[in-house]
Amino acid sequence: MNLLRDSLLVAGKDLRIERRSRVALQQILPFGGIVLIMFGFALDPDRGLLARVAPGLFWTAVLLASLLAVTRAFAIEDTNNARDGLRMAGLDGAAIFLGKAAAIAAQLALLEVVLGIGVVVLYDVEVRGIVLLVCTAVAATIGLAATGTVYGVLASGVRARETLVPLLVLPAVTPVMLGGTRAFEAALDGVPSDGWPWVQLLVAFGALAVIAGIMAFAPLLEEG
Amino acid sequence: MDDNWGYVAAGYLIMAVTVGGYGAWLWVRTRRARRSLPDIDG
Amino acid sequence: MSVRLKLLGVASIVSLAVLAVLALAVAPEDARQGDAYRLLYLHVPAAWLAYLAFFVTAVASALWLWPRTRSTTWDLLAGASAEVGVVFTGLTLVMGSLWGRPIWGTWWEWDARVTTTAVLFFLYLGYLALRRTGATAAERGKRCAIAAIIAFVDVPIVHFSVTWWETLHQDATVFNPDLDVQFEGFWMPFTLVWSVFAFTLLYAFLVSARLQLAELDEGREERELEIAIADRIRSDEVVPV
Repeated sequence: MNLLRDSLLVAGKDLRIERRSRVALQQILPFGGIVLIMFGFALDPDRGLLARVAPGLFWTAVLLASLLAVTRAFAIEDTNNARDGLRMAGLDGAAIFLGKAAAIAAQLALLEVVLGIGVVVLYDVEVRGIVLLVCTAVAATIGLAATGTVYGVLASGVRARETLVPLLVLPAVTPVMLGGTRAFEAALDGVPSDGWPWVQLLVAFGALAVIAGIMAFAPLLEEG
Repeated sequence: MDDNWGYVAAGYLIMAVTVGGYGAWLWVRTRRARRSLPDIDG
Repeated sequence: MSVRLKLLGVASIVSLAVLAVLALAVAPEDARQGDAYRLLYLHVPAAWLAYLAFFVTAVASALWLWPRTRSTTWDLLAGASAEVGVVFTGLTLVMGSLWGRPIWGTWWEWDARVTTTAVLFFLYLGYLALRRTGATAAERGKRCAIAAIIAFVDVPIVHFSVTWWETLHQDATVFNPDLDVQFEGFWMPFTLVWSVFAFTLLYAFLVSARLQLAELDEGREERELEIAIADRIRSDEVVPV
């Protein structure tokens, strides 16, 4: 299907740029890491507090890092009139949206794996319910990447973009924060059955975000 | 229960000041916008 | 100022003055909450006004997006209504906080309604920030219309998630539904209904005034642009190529 091929084209372009510039690897990933460390300083590292709040800390770090990923994904379109090039390539708005969102999601996935290991190591967390953890992360990441991409294009070409995108994205992804944290808590506490309803919420949110993105992208890219 | 009147008074005062202030701001800016319009033609 | 606007303004002030008298003097003390509950006569209509405002913003945005009904007025109305909505969302939180302190003992309560209202506040604060960045009217209209509709659709999702989250950590001692006020007799429910009526008038007035201001500003910007272009053309004729 053309949509799939075009989306992979866009995603591939973004990921290739990342492979050459290594911004996500060398800047965004370490940012997530330092946030985890800062939580350790902010809270009491003794008495098991960190382990108890680890799900929330993990998702806070991921959400903050995702803001950087989104801003970066649209910053690369600023150089060399890349945005015009994208439009003139005749790609469907939906394909551009899906491609960019997929590239962001891929970067976030890597980030979550690394930060997950970081949380286990730094906060002394015992991992249980790995299936629930993975499913949660996948569903949450889709919603996060899709929402971020929508707001990223909404704010692209706008002057105060770097500070506007965080303000726009964070309130909108509140369900991801809630769902991700609660599902992770259920997984780590050993009561996975409590977590699956939250995964459903995350899947629903992700689906809505993707639909919204597909519908909104074409008109948004039309003019300059 | 009488000490609760402090909260009530604070609430009504804040509401009045905020709404009044917003209304005043609208009035001042509207006046300024009206004045600058006829000057432009020329 | 147009006659209609003046009329709305006067009607708002009068009905609010009546509300103050009703809420502070006429309505009786509540059996359990004493006089603190009188803040509800501001908190409830403020919340109603905020939701009304954001609903209007969403509808106006949709009307702008639809090519057949597109008009700058819808875009400006969306912005005006959102601004009024943000002001009253903030007031809702403050009134709720002032009411909660004597009743619950805390300035803040992590329950579904309060937290959803807080998220709502920031959602539309972001929308207002987005409004100030548009290059052209069409650009701004498009960005903001989409942002407004997304925000509006997101609110029930947020509310649902938070309500669900709340049931998990509900503390019997902290959030007691028995603490809700019963609006009994005649004057208590009448004052509440009157407050909603008065705030609706206030909304109509403030949004109309804000819309008028936006239209004036828009007109002035267009004129300034025309003049700048005319000046540029004139100066270009003087400079040898």
